[in-house]
Amino acid sequence: MNGTNQSLSRFRAAFAGNGVLGVLIVLLIGLTLGMGQLEPLFRALFPDLSNPLYSRASFLDLMLAHIGLVLISSLISVTVGVAAGLFVTRPVGREFEPMVSSLAAIGQTFPPAAVLAIAVPLAGFGFAPTIIALSLYGLLPVIQNTIAGLGTVPQTTLEAARGNGMSRWQILHRVELPLAMRVIIAGIRVSVIINIGTATIGSTVGAKSLGTPLIAGLVGNNLAYVIQGALLVGLLAIVTDLLFERLERRYSFGG
Amino acid sequence: MIELKGLTKTYAGQNVVDDVSLTLDTGEFGVLIGPSGCGKSTTLKMINRLVPLSSGRIILNGDDVTELPVEQLRRRIGYAIQSTGLFPHWSVAQNIATVPQLLKWSKSRIDDRVDELMALFHLDATEFRHKYPHQLSGGQAQRVGVARALAADPEVLLMDEPFGAVDPITREVLQAEMRRVHQQTGKTIVFVTHDMDEALQLATRIALLNGGKLVQYDRPIELMVKPDNDFVREFIGQADLGLKLLSRRWVQQYQREPSLEHQATFPGLDHRWILDDAGRPVALEGARLDDDHQRTEVKPEWTATPEMSMKEALSRMVWYRVMVLPVVDEAGKLIAEIGMQGVMGIQAEDGTQGS
Repeated sequence: MNGTNQSLSRFRAAFAGNGVLGVLIVLLIGLTLGMGQLEPLFRALFPDLSNPLYSRASFLDLMLAHIGLVLISSLISVTVGVAAGLFVTRPVGREFEPMVSSLAAIGQTFPPAAVLAIAVPLAGFGFAPTIIALSLYGLLPVIQNTIAGLGTVPQTTLEAARGNGMSRWQILHRVELPLAMRVIIAGIRVSVIINIGTATIGSTVGAKSLGTPLIAGLVGNNLAYVIQGALLVGLLAIVTDLLFERLERRYSFGG
Repeated sequence: MIELKGLTKTYAGQNVVDDVSLTLDTGEFGVLIGPSGCGKSTTLKMINRLVPLSSGRIILNGDDVTELPVEQLRRRIGYAIQSTGLFPHWSVAQNIATVPQLLKWSKSRIDDRVDELMALFHLDATEFRHKYPHQLSGGQAQRVGVARALAADPEVLLMDEPFGAVDPITREVLQAEMRRVHQQTGKTIVFVTHDMDEALQLATRIALLNGGKLVQYDRPIELMVKPDNDFVREFIGQADLGLKLLSRRWVQQYQREPSLEHQATFPGLDHRWILDDAGRPVALEGARLDDDHQRTEVKPEWTATPEMSMKEALSRMVWYRVMVLPVVDEAGKLIAEIGMQGVMGIQAEDGTQGS
């Protein structure tokens, strides 16, 4: 009886989680495609503004450009971060661990705006400097969690893997990575969420993103633009976070 | 067959294993024992090269282990450790299949082998195949750990204090099972422990180490009756020598025909077993300390099996206050009985000794 109740409430909780995620995804897509339908609402909220709906680019374009920025910079952060984390946990790279950790930490203490200012003279305006800034900024959580995740694999498990005749490569991809995956994904999650927010400042150097209406609104004193940009960025971040949460759950093994 | 020849391991100028030489024949159950820090674990790990040796040689069935590719060597040697080291993200079946997978056996061959091993350890395949290590009890996990080590039918099985982390009752069950598995598979086993009772229970050969040196290498009985020096004598312990001897004797050597009729003429035999239709004992009449004809219901806790040690049989007699235990087979059928005469070392005259 108790068991049935428990599984029932677990079922409800899972279903509720799906429900929230579903509603948010619908909301995100609906607002991206149909922000224009809300023009009367913004007109009513901001009667002083002559043009209360951002219309220099479609929100779908901005959303796709934003996702593109985050995707590419996160791909770089994850590739470099996981590779660096793996390198410093292997016997050959162990002595580089403190150096790599502090480099990554420096990368994160640097404000992305400052990185942009340095990157623009080197890489020009637009897409490239934004990718550089975002990739650097997102590196630290990935490296840290890769090192931490690999560190959680019990010594006895590793000894058993070696004792059963697995090669280094087999130990890494059959035992260490699967067991570290939950923690590594948690790091990627933090990195991606940070970058979804930070990508907005790319608009200051001309990279198209959801930051474009935000910056335009701030510069032109148009609160409606700011709200439209911020709403979509916020929703995107929440939806992404929930998706990562479900991914992480797949890699928990009981104990 | 494993030969250790002048095996030495040096850490920071100190010999933690110092010139150890011994030979373990195929099918023997060798136990390395000694106080902590005596080098027993290090010796074991040099056999599968988890620890590189400093000098000396290890010959496994004619091959010098240092001359084989290390992964290939380890796949020829089963390895079971304390707290199992099971892979937490793999099911029981996947864990057992570790080495066959590495050896690229076909799927059907692996499935058959997993079923075979689960049967050997009395793990119900339908129930346990798809369970994960965190869903197992300590004893079950340890069985899976040993099954994994045996999966690819290795030439030697190395066990590093495999039962050190389980509770005493489970440990005794696992020890009895290990003895049965050893008899059934005929594997050569090298087993590390610091527990003399465990060593006496399991070993056919015991190597006692101290400070990295081999002190005595002998059969368990010899170690007890002919210790080479005071260290051996002390390590075995003067206490309970009689009981230790009993732990090396098995019920099947001393069991006798079960008494199915009251026979007051023979002392100690004035009792009878009452069986059910399937031949399982349900009750014992007599042979209690208090009342000769009292009927005692048979409980699994005070039955014996032919593989049980006489020490365990005696312990059950004392605890349950019965002078005779029923000896049952795997189906629970009464095949013999074991009484105080057996404890005293009197073997049955009528040739009812078990297999």
